[in-house]
Amino acid sequence: MPARARPLHYAAFVMNTTGHIIQGTWRRPTAHQTDFNDLEHWVGLVKTLERAKFDAVFFADVTGLYAPYRGDERKYFEAGLQVPSNDPSVLASALAYVTEHLGIAFTASILQEHPFNFARRISTLDHASKGRIAWNIVTNYLPNASRNFGQDGLTKHDERYAWADEYTDVTYKLWEGSWEEDALIQDRETGIHADYGKVHRINHEGPRYKVEGPHLVSPSPQRTPLLFQAGASEAGRTFAARNAEAVFIQSPNLHTAARDTADIRARAVRYGRQADDIKFFQGLYVVPASTEAEARRKAAELDEWIDYDAQLSHMSGAVGIDFGHEDLDTPVGELTTEGVQSIVGWIKDLVPGRPATLRDVAHYTATNSRIVGTPEQIAEALARWQAAGVDGINLVNAEIPGSYEEFADQVAPVLQQRGLMQREYTEGTLRHKLFGRGDRLPDRHPAARYRGAFAPQPAQPQPA
Amino acid sequence: MKRLILNLFEMNCVSHITHGLWRLPGNNRERHNDIEYWTELARLLEDGGFDAVFLADVVGTYDVFRGSADTSIREGLQIPNNDPSLVVPAMAAVTRHLGFGITFSTTYEPPFAWARRLSTLDHLTKGRVGWNIVTSYLPNAARNFGLGGEVEHDTRFEIADEYLDVLYKLWEGSWDDDAIVADRQNNVFADPDRIRPIDHEGKYFKVEGPHLPSPSRQRTPVLFTATASGAGTTFAGKHAEVVFTGGPFLRQTIANIREAAVEAGRLADDVKFITTAGVIVGRTEAEAAAKLARFQRLSSPDGYLAHASLPFDPTTLAPDTRLKDVAGPDGGVGRRRVANPEQTVGEFLAGFGDLSRHPLFAVGTPEVVADAIEGWLDDDGIDGINLLQYHSYDTARDFIELVVPVLRERGRLRTSYDPDESLRDRISGAGDRLPDRHYGTRYRGGAHLPVTERRAALSA
Repeated sequence: MPARARPLHYAAFVMNTTGHIIQGTWRRPTAHQTDFNDLEHWVGLVKTLERAKFDAVFFADVTGLYAPYRGDERKYFEAGLQVPSNDPSVLASALAYVTEHLGIAFTASILQEHPFNFARRISTLDHASKGRIAWNIVTNYLPNASRNFGQDGLTKHDERYAWADEYTDVTYKLWEGSWEEDALIQDRETGIHADYGKVHRINHEGPRYKVEGPHLVSPSPQRTPLLFQAGASEAGRTFAARNAEAVFIQSPNLHTAARDTADIRARAVRYGRQADDIKFFQGLYVVPASTEAEARRKAAELDEWIDYDAQLSHMSGAVGIDFGHEDLDTPVGELTTEGVQSIVGWIKDLVPGRPATLRDVAHYTATNSRIVGTPEQIAEALARWQAAGVDGINLVNAEIPGSYEEFADQVAPVLQQRGLMQREYTEGTLRHKLFGRGDRLPDRHPAARYRGAFAPQPAQPQPA
Repeated sequence: MKRLILNLFEMNCVSHITHGLWRLPGNNRERHNDIEYWTELARLLEDGGFDAVFLADVVGTYDVFRGSADTSIREGLQIPNNDPSLVVPAMAAVTRHLGFGITFSTTYEPPFAWARRLSTLDHLTKGRVGWNIVTSYLPNAARNFGLGGEVEHDTRFEIADEYLDVLYKLWEGSWDDDAIVADRQNNVFADPDRIRPIDHEGKYFKVEGPHLPSPSRQRTPVLFTATASGAGTTFAGKHAEVVFTGGPFLRQTIANIREAAVEAGRLADDVKFITTAGVIVGRTEAEAAAKLARFQRLSSPDGYLAHASLPFDPTTLAPDTRLKDVAGPDGGVGRRRVANPEQTVGEFLAGFGDLSRHPLFAVGTPEVVADAIEGWLDDDGIDGINLLQYHSYDTARDFIELVVPVLRERGRLRTSYDPDESLRDRISGAGDRLPDRHYGTRYRGGAHLPVTERRAALSA
């Protein structure tokens, strides 16, 4: 009997679109990804997730097309690859309504919305969900997205993180510093709704933003939403180490996971936080069956549906280099890009002993993060990821809702038996469910320095 | 016989417009943070056959009166307030017919992201959403977005006009109706030849596109506007399908905007007019009068004064001072011009917080109230009302229980929803999409977009 394990956390990794990570599978008769415009599609999914005791649903997002593949964007439209796509935050209130415990995480780029308005939207959702909202902070790496918002091209990589620093600074000030804890009174006798002495302007002035305040929303259960981040470049890791409570990684192997999680934890400690202030979620998907042979057969059948050309286009569009004209056996070689630098790093790690080719890349993107086997084998594999420093799994799907129904029916019970997945929810906000230390950010998080920061200072004693 | 468009006027805050009344026993305003407040409300309204719930919004505080936001904060006057668009999906999940109008300003947010959010909402609600286009008037709002002070009035409309242009290009012109093919055999989800970037470059906005969502049921949501200034009238004539109006010059305003619509190439009847209305109904006159008295006792003049953004404080002035001696020589007082500068401060002040002074107001039995409403429709020329709430949810409940049956009997409200009707079709009777004569349709099929013009030039 294995020793009692610590549960991993589980998020369903989805996107408000047809083709998210695994391309081509929308065509399977059992797949419903094309129903993403319908509310019922998502309502059904989150109910399934909550029955299986998932920690969260996690929506990816981008606000533009991927960079050209074979010279244009044709492939993305044909493949339904993240276009058309809808805004994920808009779903959140409906999903909050039909669930009680499931966390609702969504991606929002600093590019697409002014921080004052964004802060209000988050607080609104945090109230409506009773503290179950998470924000995946992204800086945007798609040139078309930049040009959708009036810029001529992509902001340089490191400058984007400086921008993100200021953006989060504004939101922290609004969420943590504008309303004091007891500002809201709602006294029917005296007719005083709130104490104006405890609601403060933030008067932020920075290189990009000038924001007076006050925040319009009263303090929500978490105030600052649970913070996710997913960039693994140097600047990305620094940002994560300072700000993130949860980091989404896509490590190609256990060794990389161990190395990268340790690195970011060490940086967090250098910034005055604790090593366990950050939870790492590894992107994976599973193909379960009652025997290993059956699982392999299912995986092989799935492979027939996967559109490898689309997989490559996704990679291509993300790193900003058009692989489309190359022969699939071309080595990837040295690459520099303003796009997603973390992906470039992993490509180099792909195949030990020889240079990775485009064919390796295409196959990798579709299958590397896949565990094929019985639920017991899957459990063992997840335990190994846990031993490598991973705290949770961002579960990719080949089909919605099928992949998650399958996980809920076949895999979750085994994980729960082994203590690798929770059997019951802890009461409370998403932050408390994950960390067990209350609804609010700990004092050592940078956002906390704005608590009480805008209250008028007491008069200084006069010198004698 | 003209039917009434019936909306409930709401806002995601505690004290929206009937200040002080949040204190009424059983008033649910403080629950506005809770999603259940909205879903319960939505179900109630749909049971009662309301056309839509209409959500106001501001992105700043009222901090002109007495030089700070203190009064607003004390009164709960639109602070705290939450984003209105985000409660719509939850309401949509528990209803099939109710429509949703949400307010959003064109002055501060990039059009590309807003276009996508609205299309997402139109998809999720299956075509039941409308947008109240505002340009923002609160100085604090401007300063929340980094602008020194309020953007000048006419400039705001210039910006809004270009903003709408970008949105029409995205909503109407970027994707063709048949772009989604979903051909599993040939592995083609969408046809790239039926989707195009918009390449907009204007004075205020530069947006490449393409739009990311596929065409939703209405494409462009129902367009509301809410102002009647000069620039606002031209804007409404060009864009608005519904104008939200009020004030003492109702008939003139309606006539002006219909004229502007015709000038813009539309039909006078393409624009519908909705006003806020206050209705206090009881089974007997006495019951209605008692309700009004109860509400009036808690009504808070301070809330109304702060809401009006008065640049002076009448509560600190001698009551017999004439307004013209307080305000400037042009008679302007805050955002609104006073009707009568000869009026004394005392008389002026008495109007703030007096519930029965609302321009469209009816108190009495169901028949008396229904008579008043019919008068608003037939004599004043409005098409619908945004029902003010004194009490959430009693105002709506009373109306549904007591007034709706009478209006139905009189043919002013239909007895059941048309199944599967979009909000546009419900309001205009002319289908899900903008009519061809509306400016926004000029971009259909990619017409008037640079990429289309380039291709035409190449093949010429």
